[in-house]
Amino acid sequence: MPREFIAFQNYARLIADRNFHMALKNTGIHLMVVFVTVPWLAFMLGFFLSLRKPGYRILRIIFFTPAMISVAAQSMMFMGIYLPEGILNSFLINIGLEELTRVWLGNTSTALGAIIAIDIWGGIGFYGVLFFAALSSLPNELYEAARLDGAGLWVMMWRIAFPLTIDFFGVVLVLQFLWILSGAAQNVLLLTRGGPGRATLTLGYYLYDMAFLTQRLGYSQAIGVVIFITGLVGIILIRRITSKFSYQA
Amino acid sequence: MTALIFTHRRKKPRESSWFFLLIGYFLAILYALLIVIPLVFIVISAFKDNTTIFASPLGLPDKLQFKNFVLAQENVNLLRATGISFFVTVGSEILVLLLAFPAAFGLARFSTRLSPIIESIFGLGFLIPALAIIMPIYLMTARAGMINNPLALIIFYPALRLPITIILLASFMRKIPRELEESAAIDGANIFQIMTKIFLPLSIPGVVTVVVLNFIDIWNEYLFALILMSSDNRTIQIAVSLLKNQRSIDYGLIAAGVLISLVPVYIIFVFFQERIMQGMLAGSIKE
Repeated sequence: MPREFIAFQNYARLIADRNFHMALKNTGIHLMVVFVTVPWLAFMLGFFLSLRKPGYRILRIIFFTPAMISVAAQSMMFMGIYLPEGILNSFLINIGLEELTRVWLGNTSTALGAIIAIDIWGGIGFYGVLFFAALSSLPNELYEAARLDGAGLWVMMWRIAFPLTIDFFGVVLVLQFLWILSGAAQNVLLLTRGGPGRATLTLGYYLYDMAFLTQRLGYSQAIGVVIFITGLVGIILIRRITSKFSYQA
Repeated sequence: MTALIFTHRRKKPRESSWFFLLIGYFLAILYALLIVIPLVFIVISAFKDNTTIFASPLGLPDKLQFKNFVLAQENVNLLRATGISFFVTVGSEILVLLLAFPAAFGLARFSTRLSPIIESIFGLGFLIPALAIIMPIYLMTARAGMINNPLALIIFYPALRLPITIILLASFMRKIPRELEESAAIDGANIFQIMTKIFLPLSIPGVVTVVVLNFIDIWNEYLFALILMSSDNRTIQIAVSLLKNQRSIDYGLIAAGVLISLVPVYIIFVFFQERIMQGMLAGSIKE
């Protein structure tokens, strides 16, 4: 292995690299789609569970189940859903929507969505149950006053429960952010390997590809530095924003 | 969002609660089905012929057949992979506890000006993306000549799990009343005896929680097992993912492998669900 100090050449290449642009774009889409869905739905789910209406125990166990399933097992399961003859397509045919059937992982317009859907599928339940636990520690009196004022559950959810768990909301954003930057690459590796074309090429998977498949070590580490710095900046930003809305602030 | 809040504001509570619960139940049950159906599909498929799997995805098999399990065993040696996974998981668990218990004890019981700094340095461990360290870990393992040696995983996994384990254990130990150790100290016990004779028994609930959380995480780990192990020493997660790489996709085979990989974690989940949920909440907050 020739060892030569090449200063910032890898970074210069990165800026001009179209694959890198694609990876940035796909990771950006992944982040946005997950951020506008998972934390909000998880919070609402957690609030619903925290009302402890009949059935909440069994629902809680079901919602937590995806968190117990490894990425490898989850990917294999979703493969059975997305295959051309898989259960998603057979469901669509059964309800008479045959024209909607796709080769979900082999189609450039649906592959990234199919990968993102895995994180949404498991994320809502996992963080929902954690929100439930966080909300359960709030004293009941907080709701009483609002109830006397005639507030309904929807109002209580957003006006009382939400501000009180905003710090945990920030934690959820951070965990999701780190997962998408790094962990989610495993689903890409297991299901699409960045394809078809570059449709599912994400930052994390690009690093893996460069490190272990294309074997351009230095270059892969430049991507690693980008991931690390993006992660750090993202965490600080999320913290700043959520602490602004926090009661303690 | 604010608009919705204000329009609901003057409504009578009872009506809006009814409506809220109705929608809530509807969405929650819909989501529960979205989780349960794929799982049922996997469980059923494991016992079905490949031709009938997709013809009637949720139809029960005519007769229970274990051909898929036998085939999966022949293809990727699931038994050996399960054995390797158990070996690695148990080994890592022991190493994590041996290192984390004294560290947590130190953090919880000797508060100096350094301890909060040390604890927040441990906390930073959560924030390192796995991909950022994968190459250095691979190169170090290769340099040590330990590629394909399960001991490499036993040494490495504790590094992933130590931060969270130490922080959870330390917060648990802080709740143990000080009087006990003070009376033991008066009786002439040294630090080591206080730790093992008094703290260890009292910390068992906390230890169980971290052991359970670590088991799930280590058993399910895929990425590092993939790059550090090769064919004969692969873990169960790698074996399962390799079932896909046969020439044509035999989904019954995959389902059988997935099912086997899920069983140990699910047994633990059934017995320790409350601890797991509380532990994961505490872990994520401490981040």
